[in-house]
Order: sequence, then C-alpha cells, then structure tokens
Amino acid sequence: MNRRIVGLGFAWACFCAGSITLPAQEFKLFDRTVQVHGFVSQGFIYTNDNNWLTMNTSQGSAAFTDFGLNLSSRITDRLLVGAQVYDRNLGQLGQYHPSLDWAVADYRFKSWFGVRGGKVKTTLGLYTDTQDLDFLHVFALLPQSIYPTDLRDATIAHLGGDIYGNVSLKHGLGDLSYTAYAGHRSDSIYSGYPYYFSSFGAHITSFGGLQYGADLRWNTPLKALLIGASRMNEDITGKGSAINPFNPGAALVPYSEASKADWVNQFYGEYTVGRLRIDSEYRRYWRNQELFSGTSQSFGDVRGWYVSGAYRICKRLQIGSYYSRYTVTNVVAGALSAFYPPATDTSLPADHDYDKVITGRVDLNRFWNLKIEGHFMNGYGSGPYPNGFYTQVNPQGFKPNTIALVLKTSLNF
Amino acid sequence: MNNYRLLPLVAVVVGVCCLGYALAGEVKLIANSSVKADTISPSEIRRVFLEENNSLRDGTHVEPVLEKDGAAHQAFLREYLGRTDDDLQTYYRALAFTGRGSMPKQLGSDAEVVAYVAKTRGAIGYVSAETSAEGVKTLAIEDARNSAERKLITRVEPAYPETLKQLKIGGTVRLQLTVAPKGNVENVQLLGGNPILGEAATNAVKRWVYTPNHSRTTTEVSILFDPSR
Repeated sequence: MNRRIVGLGFAWACFCAGSITLPAQEFKLFDRTVQVHGFVSQGFIYTNDNNWLTMNTSQGSAAFTDFGLNLSSRITDRLLVGAQVYDRNLGQLGQYHPSLDWAVADYRFKSWFGVRGGKVKTTLGLYTDTQDLDFLHVFALLPQSIYPTDLRDATIAHLGGDIYGNVSLKHGLGDLSYTAYAGHRSDSIYSGYPYYFSSFGAHITSFGGLQYGADLRWNTPLKALLIGASRMNEDITGKGSAINPFNPGAALVPYSEASKADWVNQFYGEYTVGRLRIDSEYRRYWRNQELFSGTSQSFGDVRGWYVSGAYRICKRLQIGSYYSRYTVTNVVAGALSAFYPPATDTSLPADHDYDKVITGRVDLNRFWNLKIEGHFMNGYGSGPYPNGFYTQVNPQGFKPNTIALVLKTSLNF
Repeated sequence: MNNYRLLPLVAVVVGVCCLGYALAGEVKLIANSSVKADTISPSEIRRVFLEENNSLRDGTHVEPVLEKDGAAHQAFLREYLGRTDDDLQTYYRALAFTGRGSMPKQLGSDAEVVAYVAKTRGAIGYVSAETSAEGVKTLAIEDARNSAERKLITRVEPAYPETLKQLKIGGTVRLQLTVAPKGNVENVQLLGGNPILGEAATNAVKRWVYTPNHSRTTTEVSILFDPSR
C-alpha cells in the first residue's frame, strides 16, 4: 500500500513538475548541459466480459499507471550519456517497483558507426523501444499481437551493447540503418510471464539470459516508405519453485526452464503520405524449452501481425484504427505431456486473439494528450502462453468475445 | 453591384498571398564561424537535423538549432526534412526517451537563432533569407542537379611528387571542390588520401575551370596517382 501511495505521489509530482516547468528542461553541471525529461500516463479500462491485462476491468479499472524520468548529457561532441527510471502499475503487474529502464553511454565515431553500452533499449521492429512512451503513439494500446504490454520485459532492454549506424546508398537508393546487439535480458518478477506461471502453482524467482540480434531498416527512395527486418535470439533460464505435478499434495519442488531454441523474426513497413500513416508488422516467436531440468520440453509458436492506419484531422486531433491478429500453439513432450494436451488449433478462442480497434487522440497542447479507444476482440489467447488474459483474474472462465473501452491521458516534458 | 470592381482587389490579395508563400520558402543555413565548411548538401542537412550525424564531411562537429515555429521553420521542414512539426517533435522525443539522442535547441525567432549560432561553437541553424547574418557564416546549399550539369572545360593534371613516385607511393586522393558561378574553383577540401599527394592534387584542381552557373556549386573528384605509369 505504501509503495502504491509513493508511486502515485511520484507520478503526480511528475505531472505537476511537467505542467510547471515545461519550458525549462535543462541545467548546467560541470559546464555540461543536462537535459531532464519525464512522462506520466494514466489509463482506465472497462470491458464487458473478461477481465483484461490483470485488472478487474469488467468493473472498470484505473490500475493502469506508468511514469519515467530521465537525465542525459552530451559529454563530448561524440559521447552522450544518460539514464531513465521507469515505474508502473498495471493491475497485478509492476506494482510500483521502479526499475532502471535504460542507462547508456553512446559514442558515435561516424554516422555509419557508433557504439552504445550499458542497459540499452532493444531495437526490434518499429516500436519495441518506444512501447512505453504513450505520448509518441496515436493508440492507447499498441497492437497486442506484437507489443503485449503485459510482457514488455521480454523485449524492452538488455544489459550489454549495440553497434549501429546509417549508410547512404548511392544512386539515390535511400539509406540503410543497422543495429546489432548482444546482452543480458532480465525480467522483473512482477511481469506477465511469472504472473502467468503462478496460475500453475509455480513461483518464479529469476528469469532472464542472453539476448542478441540485429535490425536492418531501409528508408527507400520512395519518400516516406520504410521497410525493415529484425531478428533476435535468446538463451533464457527461469528458476523458482513449483507444485510437484505428479504429487500436488507434497512439498514444493525446484522449478527450472531453459531455452533450447528461442528466437523472434519480425518484418515491418511504414508509409506516410500527407497526414496519413500506415504501419504493418509481422512477428513470429518460436520457443522450445526444457522444463523441470529437461524432464519435459515445450514447443511454442506465437505469431502475430497487424495493419494500422492513423490520420491527423487537424493539429489537435488524430484518429486511427488497426486490425491485430494473434495466434499461439504449444505442444509439451515428455513427462508433463500428460498434464498439458497439445494446443494446436488456432481457430479456438483459447489459441487466438483477433482485435479490431478504433481510436481518437486529442492533443490539448504539445505536452498533454487524451485518448479514447475501443477494442473489439475475438478470442483470449491465454492457453499455452500469456497474452493479456489471465485465469487468476478470470476464475469464472473466459468468454470468447471481449469489448473494451480504453481511456488514457499522458503528459511529457 | 458590379463584380468586376472586385477583380483588382482579389488580384492584390492573391498576389500578396503568393508573395508571402514565396518568401516563406526562402531560408538560408547559417553556422558558427568554427564550422569550416562553406557549403552543405541537402542530405547533410537532413542527417544533421535528424541527429543521424553530428559532423560534416570535413569532420567539423555541428550542433543543430531549430526554430520553434514560423514561416522559416515551416519552409525548412517542408524543403529539407519532409516532415511536419508534429512528426519532428515525436521523432526527437523518441530519441530523448530511449537514450539515443537529445532534444535539440529550439528558439523562438530568427534573431535568437542568429545570436545563439554566433556564440556557440559548431552551431548550425536556419533563418529566413532576409535575416541579417552578421556574426555568423552563411552556408551555400549545394544543388545536386546543377553540380551534375556543370562540365569541366579546363583540366590541369597534377604533378606527381618525384620522391613519392620513386618510393612507389601512390593511391587515390578525394577532393571536394567549390566552384564559383563563373566556373573557377574557389575552394578545395581534402576528403581523403595521402596528404602530400593531396597537396599536389589541390594545386592542380585550383586551375580547373567549369562551365558558368547561376550559383556556386560543389562537386567531389577523385584523382589517381599511379607510380607504375
């Protein structure tokens, strides 16, 4: 409770500070300019049936708050350093446990080659690195097939390094931007996956591991058309304790899971013409894991794609819509297969989530916006892998369709 | 009422509007005196103001400075960045909130931009064309089309330094030439290659002559020094 009060107090302080000091966002330290930026967002969700995103949304829930504060400074012409603290509460997730969102030293040797190290935001598709930054997006919730907000920890950052650069192509062929990275991913135990596992009586105490990959994007000669591809490989280990599936009445036993093959492929495109922006992305996430020290294996195949369009009607008003499609299959082999039947039929509501969305965004000024959004979902995709719908907050069982109203406001400075 | 009487008034209004639009499209790039370059290409402008690069081809560090709003700002965005102001602000915030860049300086008027650029090492900004650029240097914006159209009329071959030739030291020298409207080469920058060969090449290309043009242009040339010849 105290953490909640402190968190909300901090969010309110950010809000007030932002309102008061919007023009003054920097100060001098050792003759260097230090920039200060922050944001806070508050949402409310009401659903007609299933509870969503670990909140009690069928009654209406405002347990949807996040905020961040960062400092950055250009130490030399080529060296930029900075760090951001991030905190959130999303239903049962986050619970106002602050985290170091990113902390980087970025040295750019040339436009075509730079390095950054520390805790670095992961480049994966169009919006992985900015998915928390509500004020950058037209939509209150990005397409959950690609950017599940309950699972943000899985892709948001790595402790390691990137190399990156931008190369102009000859003959007017546009330019290429690349990023390659490697590091250690570490999930909060207050994130979606540990919460999902708690429904099976497991208590995960650590979850993370090696993450490496690359992103290549091409700003094509066709003005405002961007296309790109990302690849990420992972070697993840999770540890904790769990109910013994063969003897549920006995004491808890050690639980472990480890990647055998764990990768993501993502392809994307973005096109802007006048006031209209169209995005589309496809992601496939394949995970083959050893469970309980190799006594069993699971083979999960998560696929998602969306097409979205956003149109700016005037300076203060934007509207948007997207269609997001998510499917998941999972097969368990070995000793645990008796407890987890194969989930391979993606036509079942338990193995998919199709979401039609309309939204409106009003910018009250450059720093403050309001959003109203409707989600019309078919399926709840909660069977073999979490995707917004959790059994713990739906003890009565799931219904196949969910309509959600999302209201959100955010402020940044 | 005779509608024809309104025609001159309409013509004046339309004329004034067109003039205003034309003026809005006229911006010039200014830089602090520490910036060595005299010219800048549209692609360099884009990269510098989108923070994809913080130095020019000659290695000079630059720091972009923007205006918050106004005709010069709108014209600059339209002509060189191809983005609306809202899109650009979103872009900068994405950089600042992910640790990949910082918000550039944004000032309220041409006068403020000139004053800031004048006192800040490496600063580069834009102002409306009629603004006094006292205390700063004005960068010529290269026109790729004109560069391509200009033909070399007189070419002088560089003298190969005898010592380097005997030592079989050769290679390619890359130079950036600024060609005056009359066609003479008024400035040469060494972009790459052996510095001694570069000096020899510079001495030669300063005597080159191109076809006349209505404005100053720049072009890159590569000269090969082959010791086996």
